[in-house]
Amino acid sequence: MTLHERLIEALGRDAVKIAPEDLAVYAFDAYTESGTPSAVVLPASTRDVSAIVKIARDCGEPIVARGAGTGLCGGAVPMTGGIVLSFARMNRVLALDERNRRAHVQPGLINLDLSRHAAPSGLFYAPDPSSQKISTIGGNIATNAGGPHCLSYGTTGHHVLSLEVVDASGEVFATSVDDVGYDLTAALVGSEGTLGIVTAAWVRLTALPESVRVAVAAFDDVESASAAVSAIVAAGILPTALEMMDAVITKVVEAAFHAGYPADAAAVLLVENAGVDEDVRAAEAVIQSIAIKHGARSWRSAADAGEREALWAGRKGAAGATGRIAPNYYTQDVCVPRSKLPIALRAVGAAALANGITVGNVFHAGDGNLHPLLMYDKRDRRQVAAVVETGNAILQSAIDLGGTISGEHGIGWEKRDAMTRVYSTEDLAAMGRVRDVFDPARALNPEKIFPSGARCPEVVPP
Amino acid sequence: MSAPRERVAPATVKALSTAVARCDRSGHKVRIAGGETLAGMGFPAERVDLTIATAALNGVIANERADLVFAAKSGTPLADLSAMLAGQGQFVPFDAPHPQYATLGGTLAAGWLGPRRHCYGRLRDYVIGSTIVLADGTIARAGGMVVKNVTGYDMSRLYVGSFGTLGVLAQANLKTIPMPPQARLFLAALPERTRERACAQLAALAIRPAAAFLIDGFHHAIDGEEGAEGRVLALLEGSDATLERATLELRSALGRAGVPETSVLDAGAREAFARVVDAYVASLGERSVTYRLASLPDEAVRDGLRMHEIARSHELRGETIVDVMNGDAVLRVSDADSHAFGAKIEAFDEALHAALPRACVIAGNHPHRAALQVWGVAPEALERMRALKARFDPNRTLNPGRFVGGI
Repeated sequence: MTLHERLIEALGRDAVKIAPEDLAVYAFDAYTESGTPSAVVLPASTRDVSAIVKIARDCGEPIVARGAGTGLCGGAVPMTGGIVLSFARMNRVLALDERNRRAHVQPGLINLDLSRHAAPSGLFYAPDPSSQKISTIGGNIATNAGGPHCLSYGTTGHHVLSLEVVDASGEVFATSVDDVGYDLTAALVGSEGTLGIVTAAWVRLTALPESVRVAVAAFDDVESASAAVSAIVAAGILPTALEMMDAVITKVVEAAFHAGYPADAAAVLLVENAGVDEDVRAAEAVIQSIAIKHGARSWRSAADAGEREALWAGRKGAAGATGRIAPNYYTQDVCVPRSKLPIALRAVGAAALANGITVGNVFHAGDGNLHPLLMYDKRDRRQVAAVVETGNAILQSAIDLGGTISGEHGIGWEKRDAMTRVYSTEDLAAMGRVRDVFDPARALNPEKIFPSGARCPEVVPP
Repeated sequence: MSAPRERVAPATVKALSTAVARCDRSGHKVRIAGGETLAGMGFPAERVDLTIATAALNGVIANERADLVFAAKSGTPLADLSAMLAGQGQFVPFDAPHPQYATLGGTLAAGWLGPRRHCYGRLRDYVIGSTIVLADGTIARAGGMVVKNVTGYDMSRLYVGSFGTLGVLAQANLKTIPMPPQARLFLAALPERTRERACAQLAALAIRPAAAFLIDGFHHAIDGEEGAEGRVLALLEGSDATLERATLELRSALGRAGVPETSVLDAGAREAFARVVDAYVASLGERSVTYRLASLPDEAVRDGLRMHEIARSHELRGETIVDVMNGDAVLRVSDADSHAFGAKIEAFDEALHAALPRACVIAGNHPHRAALQVWGVAPEALERMRALKARFDPNRTLNPGRFVGGI
């Protein structure tokens, strides 16, 4: 039997897509490059996933697990072909354990749907990537996704309690952070589908705060705004979220969403505090005074939930709103020490200027996690080259400042060759040892994370 | 276990690497020693030819106070780190016993789970980077000095809790958080049959305590008067406003549960909390063993009582600490002398694990500890863990036999 026949026999015709037009849909994620899969499968259960992996192994096909395909680094693209395994049909909340504040979910569950589901119990799922309306918990686990509220709540890995995983040979195993032994859960989170395929997870839920306040500070230059961020953190204040948008972004966000941002500001800070009401008000007052001391020309607190949500909708929709400036944008993702923000932003501006590229900055300032959006038209090859050049220069400046090449989007296909710029051969070989144990044949999401060409050196036991 | 004959304390990562690699090549088995405060965890090493102590790897490498991150050598005592951080209004919830001796590397390697983790997150979630020496002497770094980093696998977190069986931690980089300005300790005696209700009330509080315990036994070691069924002890942390509200809520919640009188302690609240954490591993030498069971918040009280009953049925003295917020139950069993204790402990261990298979030993110098199920029931992924060990330390040079399943 052929691969397609075997998959259809195991899963039914309805769960296997092989028509060229279907395959083309799954050739992309949110990155620019593509690769056509040999088949797309839509499992409905862990058993299905296990069967798919076994068939793939027999047929020598690699497997690329896929959530919603919102990843920005090509992590869900089958660059060398193979089977794309979509979790679109495994998207349910299996259990909500209110007393122990946790939920059992399938990987295809949309991030925001979990918070909606938990809200009547006074709980929510804290990691909130800007893609949360469409991205899935499984994809979030694969990339150890962040988001604006990671500043106080931590990233996805801090909220995963246990995993059900299908390994490279199709066997199912479970890991739990409460298990004795090695923390395999920690190894799997952020491994971008290269160590196993997560088929279910227990995740931690967080109590909805009794009080939330959101405020916007406007600045006349980016420098002062980023200096204010560094000063807030240095003062020992960690708000729930501390986001920044520059003039380019603020303008398009305001035009697209009418969210309530001062459209003429050179930079705005979006500050959220949550918790006990008295503390929230006190923190906001201190942050306001630091902002004003650093040159904020205005400060406005959202009056009610409606205004708060409008501000957040604008922030989370910022990347999409750049369609008003250029047909395409490329999002870079680097993280620097928070005190280095002003220097890092200057370097971003200089790199864009040198290459003639328009840049918009919208990012998790409190974490030092930059997201310069480089605007371009992909039909113009010179602009494409300039964007690549700018992106590279930004990567290098982050490394030079003691930062790293990905804060929350992952390495995927895009940045794998940059791994050698932050890690030595020995550092990468240690990761390679973990891969050897879980996926010795490199059948799970091959050619991701690790540098191309030069394979990790084999460590030969003496 | 034969006493290790030799002990070295390398002062640099390079020297550590050389020492480990030499042992690996020559077939010598290495015991890794930090502050030895958690030496009661795990099996005794099956063979020790050389003890490598991290004592000389002591000191802060970088204190980036404005970034809320620091890097320190693995042998640095936790108390030194906490003192440095407190001086700049920051902290990390290490919450490990005897922080003046416990080292950063040892605490991470042991995967220590502190009682404030439900509130501030697990200690491992603070680790943003590491340097480790693998069995063949390879020096491998992971992560860095930034608070968000998804550059490859999170190796640092894999090393946390690996008990030195994958490599020897030489350095760890951690993020910090602002220190809550105030702390207050709540103490109350527990009348009979209020345990379950008190626990449920504590867990349901809108402003959650940073830590809350139901304690039975541990006289003198832990503050508070003993009630008929022990006492409740809760730590509140936050601003004055938070503490004021939390105090009212906690009082009325405990009142509803039938706990009539409470007393509060502001000065020395955190010190009293630290004494509870010390008690987790308080050992009576060869006549006690302490178990810890990671449970769920709504099951921990019941599990604690069950452990207690099994101790009683084996005519052993049982003392318990139930961490209400996280759902941990700690039980210390002991007897008047080591001879009487030795005669009962193995049967007790068997009965305990028949009822609660996940209970682990965390303290005790019992000479037959190797005969106890110190790691509880084997985790489902044990074979994968063995494969990891084989890939990282094929000659079983590092801490052989100490870990789960004899890894």
